[in-house]
Amino acid sequence: MAYPPLPTTVVPVVAMATVVLVVWLGWGSFRDPETLWAPGNLSRYHADVARCASCHEPFRGPVSVRCIVCHSETRFAERAKPAVATFHREVITQRKTCLVCHTEHRGALAQITASAMFNPHGEFIFRATGTGSCSACHQFSATFGDRPILLDNETVRRLLEKGGGAHRPGRMANCLTCHTAGRFESEGYEQPKE
Amino acid sequence: MTLVTRRLTTIIVLIISAVGGALLFEALLSIGSPSPFAHTRQGHLMGWAGLGVILLVFVYPIKKRLCRNDRWPRGWFQVHITAGVIGPLLIVLHSGAHVHALVPQLALAAMAIVAVSGIVGQGVHYLALRTLNDRRQQLHEQGLSPDEIDVRLRRMAAQEEGFRLWQAVHAPMTLIFLALTAMHVAGALYFGGM
Repeated sequence: MAYPPLPTTVVPVVAMATVVLVVWLGWGSFRDPETLWAPGNLSRYHADVARCASCHEPFRGPVSVRCIVCHSETRFAERAKPAVATFHREVITQRKTCLVCHTEHRGALAQITASAMFNPHGEFIFRATGTGSCSACHQFSATFGDRPILLDNETVRRLLEKGGGAHRPGRMANCLTCHTAGRFESEGYEQPKE
Repeated sequence: MTLVTRRLTTIIVLIISAVGGALLFEALLSIGSPSPFAHTRQGHLMGWAGLGVILLVFVYPIKKRLCRNDRWPRGWFQVHITAGVIGPLLIVLHSGAHVHALVPQLALAAMAIVAVSGIVGQGVHYLALRTLNDRRQQLHEQGLSPDEIDVRLRRMAAQEEGFRLWQAVHAPMTLIFLALTAMHVAGALYFGGM
């Protein structure tokens, strides 16, 4: 079944409209790139970052080299807690990528640190283990959001022994479920019967 | 309710269900992950897959224009229809409900207009045109004069002419959709890395 052809003016009109749209978006990319391109608003921590190029390298994406311009070793030493400063100094010297733990463009009120976003154990775990970061017990993959691997080190072994069977992979959810009110003595846990 | 109106209602319900289902599936894939599926590596791959399927759509119009003397490429028309439905659904899965930037918003809107106009063209307008022609033939066989037939079928003809709008939208909007998609892909590679 043949349809009547489109008027001949359609193609030039649409081509002109496309050119105008592309030019407008190109102009907007210089004036207000965040509105046109950002996948979400920057967090409150980076709200004062005005230029995309402060964090993004063309065709390479966000790179740690740009992060270090502001988050230098000196700045960590001056402002961060010792455990945090030590951890980040190692990250910087070993040239690891910041994107394993950090993300952005999730909204003004979003958390941008993986451990802060997803720490199933709660803050109690740091008090119990005497550590200052998730990487003391977990190895994180290079992809943000991947499930971390439990390390086999002294800290992990000591923690698993302490629980007398209660601390074992798969049961290590929120510590406060058993350690009510943050007490080291646990409540409501029965030793599994052999 | 006429046959055409019933078909239009069915198509509207199917489109809403398909898009809603894709958005729901994306939300399910995002559960338990710190990032929405659309912002993960798999989400980005879904975008490339959707783009690949959508590009298959263009084989039919290219063949139709370049090989005018050959017979109508029916097989490629089937590919055109199938890829024109599946490709946009993959893109909805790729975007989820997390569209923030203007360029992907416009690209998504242009894709929706192109896809919906094509579905209306094939599913509703074709039926309206065929029904009108069949009815005209019936009345002609009953011995009515062309003027009487025109008067009897005025409403039906007006409906058919209204649905013919798809034709003025479908092909021209494709040009705008392609331009916006090219910009979106270029921007994603520029800011997100290759």
